[in-house]
Amino acid sequence: MPDLNVDEIPSGASVPVSADGVSPEVPDFAFDPTDPWTETFQKGLERAGLSGKRIYEVGIGTGINVAFLLRMCGAAHVSGSDLDPRLVVLAERNVRSLAPEEANLFHPVRGEVSLIDTEEAQARIAETDVIIACLPQVGDPGDRRLTAFRKAQSVELPEGAGEKADDHIAHYYPWAAFDEYPFNSVGLGLNEALLRRIRDQAPTAQVIMNFGCRIGTGIIFEMFEANGFRPEKLHSQIVRQDAGTDISFFVMLEKALRGTGLEKDLVCVFFADEDAASPLSASEAQDLLDRDPDTPLFHEVCVIRAVPVAA
Amino acid sequence: MDVTNAIDCNGLSAAPTLLRIKQALVGLVDHALPLEILVDEGCDQERLRRSLGRHGGAVRLISRPQ
Ligand SMILES: C[S@@+](CC[C@H](N)C(=O)[O-])C[C@H]1O[C@@H](n2cnc3c(N)ncnc32)[C@H](O)[C@@H]1O
Repeated sequence: MPDLNVDEIPSGASVPVSADGVSPEVPDFAFDPTDPWTETFQKGLERAGLSGKRIYEVGIGTGINVAFLLRMCGAAHVSGSDLDPRLVVLAERNVRSLAPEEANLFHPVRGEVSLIDTEEAQARIAETDVIIACLPQVGDPGDRRLTAFRKAQSVELPEGAGEKADDHIAHYYPWAAFDEYPFNSVGLGLNEALLRRIRDQAPTAQVIMNFGCRIGTGIIFEMFEANGFRPEKLHSQIVRQDAGTDISFFVMLEKALRGTGLEKDLVCVFFADEDAASPLSASEAQDLLDRDPDTPLFHEVCVIRAVPVAA
Repeated sequence: MDVTNAIDCNGLSAAPTLLRIKQALVGLVDHALPLEILVDEGCDQERLRRSLGRHGGAVRLISRPQ
C-alpha cells in the first residue's frame, strides 16, 4: 500500500497526497482541499481516536476527508453525502485513486442530500458512531431577509461579494431557510439544524465539527450545550481569512448591537497577524479591507468534538 | 397562552437574543406586532429589555420551562 502520511505533505496542506504522487481531482465547484480549513479539520480528526469507528461525513466535498479517515485514521467504514450531487460522484473517484485499497469501505449516499434529509442518509446515520461536518457559517449575501437586515444596519455589501463562485454553497447557506433555529441569528443555523437531526436520528453518536471561530468560540460551545451536547476543542489553528469570503455578515451583527449595552457581549474575533497577537473586531477588520482589499486578515479555525449529554 | 408563532430564542444569551429579535422585526408589518419572543430561562430579561430600547414595545418576552 502506498504510504499516506501527513508528514510527507507539502507544508500548509495536510491533504493526503499519497506517496505515489496521486493527488485529488478538484474541479471549481468543489471546496479546495488545500485550504487550511481542511488541514485543521484533519489534524483534529487525527486526534479523535477514530480507529474502528463507523463515520458519516455531511458535506463530503472532494472526498479528501474520506480518504484520510480510511487510510490514516483506520475508520471501519465511512459514508457521506453532499448538497451538491456532483460532489459525491467526484468523491468516489478521488477515494478510489487516493485510497485504492480501502475504497470498498466508502459507502457514498448519492444524489442531492441536504444535511441528512433523505431516507438513505438517515438509515446510514442510524448505524454511525461519529458524524463529521464542516458546513457554512455565513448567510448567503443574496438572501432577501439578510439583505433587509444588512440595510437596516447601514452595512454595505462589498463590491463583488454578491457574485456566486462555483463553490458558493461551500461558503454560504440560505439563511432565511434555517431561521427556525435560534443560533441562526449568529450564522450557526445550518450547523444547529444538523445537531437537531443527529439528536433525533443518532442519539448516541458523537459529532466532530470544524468551525471558523470569527463569531467567538464561546457562542459555538453554547450552541452545542443548548442542543444537548458536551463540546471540547480537539485542535485549533490560526488561518488566513479567505479573500473571497464576505465578512460583512459579522460586521452587521456587531453594528446591530451598537448602543444597546450588549456590544461587549458579542465581538467577532479576527486578527491582524498570524500569531493572533493583535485581535480585531469584524468592523475593524472591514475598515482595513475597505482601505486595502488585500490586507491579510486571520482568524481561528477549530475542531470541536461533542458527545451527547444523555448518552 | 398561544406561543406557536413565537420566535424561539432558547439557548441564546442576551446578545444573540437581541440580534434575533432585530432580525425578526425587519420588514414586519405593524399588525403582526407585538412579536412573541420565547426567551431562554437563563437569559437576563431585565438587561435584554433595557437593550431593546425603542423596539421594546414591539415584542412580548415569554419564558417557559423547557
Ligand atoms: C467548507 S466545504 C467542506 C468540504 C469538506 N468536508 C472539507 O472539509 O474539506 C462545505 C461542504 O458542505 C457542503 N454543503 C453546503 N451546504 C450543505 C447542506 N445543506 N447539506 C449538505 N452539505 C452541504 C458543500 O457543498 C461543501 O462541499
